[in-house]
Amino acid sequence: MNSDEKANSKTSSKALRFGGLLIFLLFTTLLLAIYFGSERLAFFELNEAQKAILFDIRLPRVLLGATVGASLAVAGASLQSLLRNPLAEPYLLGVSNGAALGTMLAFVFFSQIEIARPVCAIFGASLATFTVYQMAKSRAGMNVERLVLSGVIVTTFLSSIIVLLTSLLDAAKLRSFTFWLLGDLSQATKNGFYLTFVCVIFGTIILSSQARALNLMMIGERDAFDFGVETGKVRLIIFATASALVGISVAASGSVGYVGLIVPHIVRLVVGSDNRLVVPFSAIAGAVFVVAADTIARTAIAPRELPVGAITALIGAPMFIYLLRKS
Amino acid sequence: LSKFNLIKLQNVNFADDVVGENRSVFKKFRLKIFLVFCFCLCLLFINSCKKDALNPQTNLPTREITDDLGKKVKIPLQIERAVSLAPNLTETAFAIGAGERLVGVTSYCNYPLEAQKIQRVGDTINPNIETIIALKPQIVLVSTASQIETFIKTLDAQNIAVFVTNPNSLDDIYKTVYQLGEIFSREEKAAQIVDDLKRRVADVEAKTASLKDVKVFLQISKEPLFTIGKQSFMTDLINRAGGVSVTETVETAYPKISKETASALNPEAIILSDSEDNKEPNDVFANSSAMKNAKIFRVNADLISRPAPRVVDALEQIANDLHREDFRK
Repeated sequence: MNSDEKANSKTSSKALRFGGLLIFLLFTTLLLAIYFGSERLAFFELNEAQKAILFDIRLPRVLLGATVGASLAVAGASLQSLLRNPLAEPYLLGVSNGAALGTMLAFVFFSQIEIARPVCAIFGASLATFTVYQMAKSRAGMNVERLVLSGVIVTTFLSSIIVLLTSLLDAAKLRSFTFWLLGDLSQATKNGFYLTFVCVIFGTIILSSQARALNLMMIGERDAFDFGVETGKVRLIIFATASALVGISVAASGSVGYVGLIVPHIVRLVVGSDNRLVVPFSAIAGAVFVVAADTIARTAIAPRELPVGAITALIGAPMFIYLLRKS
Repeated sequence: LSKFNLIKLQNVNFADDVVGENRSVFKKFRLKIFLVFCFCLCLLFINSCKKDALNPQTNLPTREITDDLGKKVKIPLQIERAVSLAPNLTETAFAIGAGERLVGVTSYCNYPLEAQKIQRVGDTINPNIETIIALKPQIVLVSTASQIETFIKTLDAQNIAVFVTNPNSLDDIYKTVYQLGEIFSREEKAAQIVDDLKRRVADVEAKTASLKDVKVFLQISKEPLFTIGKQSFMTDLINRAGGVSVTETVETAYPKISKETASALNPEAIILSDSEDNKEPNDVFANSSAMKNAKIFRVNADLISRPAPRVVDALEQIANDLHREDFRK
């Protein structure tokens, strides 16, 4: 008993330090991201034009990057625990592609209505998740291999519809889309940020509230059920919340890759697999990661820009390998 | 050839059955060798057929011209069948009176009207290689690097010449007209067109020479924000129209520009390459002097973005738009 408590306090103090570090990192990254840009701003004597640059262009983009990063990371973290698969990720399960297709259809059919895009994206993401889940479900319960395979099938199917749409539709109309599909934060708007911000706060709270149940479900669904976890309900809540988060962020910024995979794994390498820590910490770490990557994308070859998805992959993969070998 | 192959295929199928029935390892082994042998024979046969089918054109006398990649291209003395893989080359071919010799064009080639009746071979980025080969052209005209290397190799293997143009300035556009004149043996007409264009450009330059340059942002697409850079012929175009592109020092021809920079550049005029997704200036220009003074000009995208003779129409329009007040005096 005594040694158990000791171990507990040890992990919690470590977690506390890591949490503090993450929050410190988040604020530093945000400040640096606001400071650096393709235009040098005199922060203490801003003129009208510079104010416009700071408040209408740079700030919305930096903040949107943070919320998108947080959304993708918590969605990835909770899906990985729920499916007991380290590779589970919004992209692998087809959730992102469902959201992308939804946004595209909204763009084609309701191009005038701004809110149609996130709504259709959430709808597309949920539909993809539901399809994957139905395909994977069997009488024996949830089979993880089957689920991942179903995800691959749905992903490729949705990708082919997206490719078909882009080849069928007018080239000029979809030019903006080819960039958006690869992740493009340059189209950030204040409204897009407000929407993702509200969603990511609520989403993280909901997913964190399921963390205890998730911990038990990581042992095995049957065991969790025996412990009194309503596995079906938990699964539904997590699928719905993760789909909504992915849908909202894809509608706002396209598909920024690697975040949902890399960030939760890095967090787990530090704090272990307790979801009560992994889920909220992933949100902060995801925000730090995407904001940092986007700052590089904005400034590396300024005044031109790089695609942020390429940067997240470029930083993410080596960092992941390093941490994996070190642990 | 196809009949022969079919027989071979049937043999293979039959042999497979035999393998299935005789489980003897030795026999199976022998049959495998036999099958490989058959396959090699087939390959040899196909290969020899290919040599027979070589284009008879190779024996005809050829001439050599150098394209914009610096590659020496061998073409027949007389070009009767050509495929154009870019709308600007289609327009140029028609301008020099060689339009009726085009047997294939892209789906973007909408000018002149006659061009729309020519067989389509796909779009500029994804031309259909089979359609092109079926049209038996003597030369395929390509604009810049929009088309892929492998595609050029396939055409080379079919003995179809590939001529690449890459105009980065108005002078380069003249050069393209001359080059096409040379290819289609219409040098005189080409020279006449270039002289005419040069005269019109000189007129514009004379009128704008004494005027103050207007700072221009040329918007290619609203979202994401694309503009013209150092290597675009449109930068040259704006210079000659009595303006200066605010992004003239940015590398590459069509950069995606940072919105912060675009906003800070504060252009005095915005020119929109007029297409469906580019009707309005980007929101970052809301406070620019161009917006304040209502200096937003739309130029038909087909005119301004195609390095063809009609680009001078765009030049004249831009000069008029930028200096309307000065010209009226």
